[in-house]
Amino acid sequence: MTFRRSQHGPLVSILISTYNRPQYLAEALESIFRQTWPHLQVVLVRDGGADVEEVVRRFDDRRLTFINRAENRGLPYSFNEALAHARGEYICYLGDDDKFYPHHVQRLVEAIESQDRCGAVYSDLYKVHCRVKPDGRRIALAKNLEISRDFDRMLMLQFNHVLHVSVMHRKDLLERAGGYNENLNVLIDWDLNRKLCFYTDFLHVPQITGEYYGPVGECDRISVQRRKNVQDYLRNVLTIRTTRPPKPWPCVEDLSVLVLAERADALLEQTLRDLWSHTFYPQQIYVALSPEQASGWRPAVPNVVVVPAEPASSLEKRVDRMLAVCEGAYTALVPTGLAAEMDEAAWLERSLCPLLECRQPYQAFELVEATETCWGAVFRTEELRRVRRQYGHLPLRASLQAGGFSVRKPKFEEYPFRFDHFLAAAEQVQQEGDWGYAAQIYAYLAEHFGNGLWMRTRQAHALIQAGRCGEALQVLEPVLSVRPTVSGLMLAARIYQKQKNYRRAIEFYEQARRVVEGTEVQRRWIPPIRRKAVKPAADEPEMSTEESRVWT
Amino acid sequence: MDLAGALHNPDQGWMQRYEIVKELGDCYASVGEYENARRCYEQASWLEPDEAGPYVGTGVIELQQGRLEDAELAFRVALRLDGCNSRAWAGLAMIAQQCGRLQQAFDYYLKSLELDNNHLTALLGLFQVSCQMGTFRQVIHYLQVYLQMHPADTSVMFCLAALYAKEGQIRQAQDLLKDILALEPGHQDARQLLEELEHKALQKGRNEV
Repeated sequence: MTFRRSQHGPLVSILISTYNRPQYLAEALESIFRQTWPHLQVVLVRDGGADVEEVVRRFDDRRLTFINRAENRGLPYSFNEALAHARGEYICYLGDDDKFYPHHVQRLVEAIESQDRCGAVYSDLYKVHCRVKPDGRRIALAKNLEISRDFDRMLMLQFNHVLHVSVMHRKDLLERAGGYNENLNVLIDWDLNRKLCFYTDFLHVPQITGEYYGPVGECDRISVQRRKNVQDYLRNVLTIRTTRPPKPWPCVEDLSVLVLAERADALLEQTLRDLWSHTFYPQQIYVALSPEQASGWRPAVPNVVVVPAEPASSLEKRVDRMLAVCEGAYTALVPTGLAAEMDEAAWLERSLCPLLECRQPYQAFELVEATETCWGAVFRTEELRRVRRQYGHLPLRASLQAGGFSVRKPKFEEYPFRFDHFLAAAEQVQQEGDWGYAAQIYAYLAEHFGNGLWMRTRQAHALIQAGRCGEALQVLEPVLSVRPTVSGLMLAARIYQKQKNYRRAIEFYEQARRVVEGTEVQRRWIPPIRRKAVKPAADEPEMSTEESRVWT
Repeated sequence: MDLAGALHNPDQGWMQRYEIVKELGDCYASVGEYENARRCYEQASWLEPDEAGPYVGTGVIELQQGRLEDAELAFRVALRLDGCNSRAWAGLAMIAQQCGRLQQAFDYYLKSLELDNNHLTALLGLFQVSCQMGTFRQVIHYLQVYLQMHPADTSVMFCLAALYAKEGQIRQAQDLLKDILALEPGHQDARQLLEELEHKALQKGRNEV
């Protein structure tokens, strides 16, 4: 579908689903209609629950499409419904209790339009820790930037690091991906982002453009409550991880896992379960079985293809049968009986990732747990096929040797998630009190792994703890000039306070206070509607105008 | 204090706003803007009514303005919320000292130092009260502990040297004064006391001869 652009630029559809939160919905909608980007369509879906017509009526704006459904069908259904009504070239989302800052849409449109590589962009959002008063008012206690991570496809395949509310993407990409999965009831944002990353890169705009809330103490959020059901949560995780969106995938290369099973037995079942629960990279699993073994056998995990093999055929013959039909650019040979460690999350990926990064031809990486008698490795499929075609008369490993394959175990430093390993190491040394060393690790991470603003802030924090305030200030100043977060401003204030420069400390603390209280961003806003101010109780101190609203 | 998780990750705590206004109160108090400080402490105690910090801050500004009764009340509220608050004990000690209740001041300073032997105000207060009361042994111990943590703090080194001298431990006093002068050659008090001690030692030597 091609979009006609008006003189105002591309149309952006903002999808919002609401369920039983009318008291916060008005605030969320206000934040949409205050956007500096005017070319908007707002699709609001009432997903059952409390009536919100009165709230909607207050927004007499022709850009708003309201779908008033009495039945509760869940978020994925609602977003699919909203998508069907969306006319925008770009889509973004807002929770019914969250809010955008006025420049949110504009900033993301500018970012997505400034380049061709990324069909999805995302910004940073504050998580507002708040206390909810009996009358529903929320008192902001902290505004933290809990997630500000540059896009990492491997990480996205493993777990989410991009907030749903912070994303804007091309509408056609989600249509290609097949929309939202209505069988999920949590982590639908990860499902969306994961599917999109098969088709596009994401661009991170490290700027704070909105807020989402998290009450301190017991949280009534549906997504939080549902996570408490561990079995159901795991079902969602595994469903997402095994989802294979429609091909072609321009950004992800498929992996074929050839399981070296002699028969359909308990060992095979265990191996399949291990693959299901200890790997995350998109894969299609192949098992070569004789027709009589295959008949009546139903694998307990998804994405398994049974390849017919002759009864009692050799290992090599079965590998060749599977190789002939498999479609992945990479192939993992996995023996049965090779157990994955209980907490291992990247069982095959530890061998796959070095190969994805390796430019040398005919290189393969053994599985980390592989032994002489229980052996497996990951290959480029075409190279493995070529060697097997040429040396198919030889046993498997002899043929690899004859074909010139270099096969070795991956080194620890070649494993995926190096950034996360270093980060965990820095946090560990912090726990042990070695703040100076932690600061060194953060500096290394900022230099070599991106995520600069985040890592520099952590470095400055570690330096302060190590008593090196002067150095901390040097690290912090450039960060604050780009993104003055509450935590960054507080660090600067603390440094000046320690140096007994109380006037400078006051400046930074006051700025941090304005951000937490919501007056720093608010100054540029023009309220479109009048609302009754909620009168504070007698014992409450005087608060800012923003504070006396439902959202504080 | 780990403000609800903020110690290890600056973007994790949920008491940020409390911490901001409480620290702002301390900063305003430090520059003498007591009304601003008081407003900040009020907001801090509204945000976190169970925290002792804002009451200690309020006590300090009342004390600085000479309102001893109000200060005492604030420190006592703080101690009810947190009986181990070293600053609140030090505050009560200062009030007792100003009211001439030297033994009580001594006990409160001692309590404060037991809870935080790094508390300089309590340490110097204890030193002053000890001088007024003429009891030095316990102070010497706390000054020694403090200097183990801050070996180059010349003001505390000087207090300790003075106490050594009063207790007749001349050799230790002289060594410490020499250390002070090595760190801070322009320290006039140290130079004078050292000269005085050397002069006395010389006289004593002559008398013995």
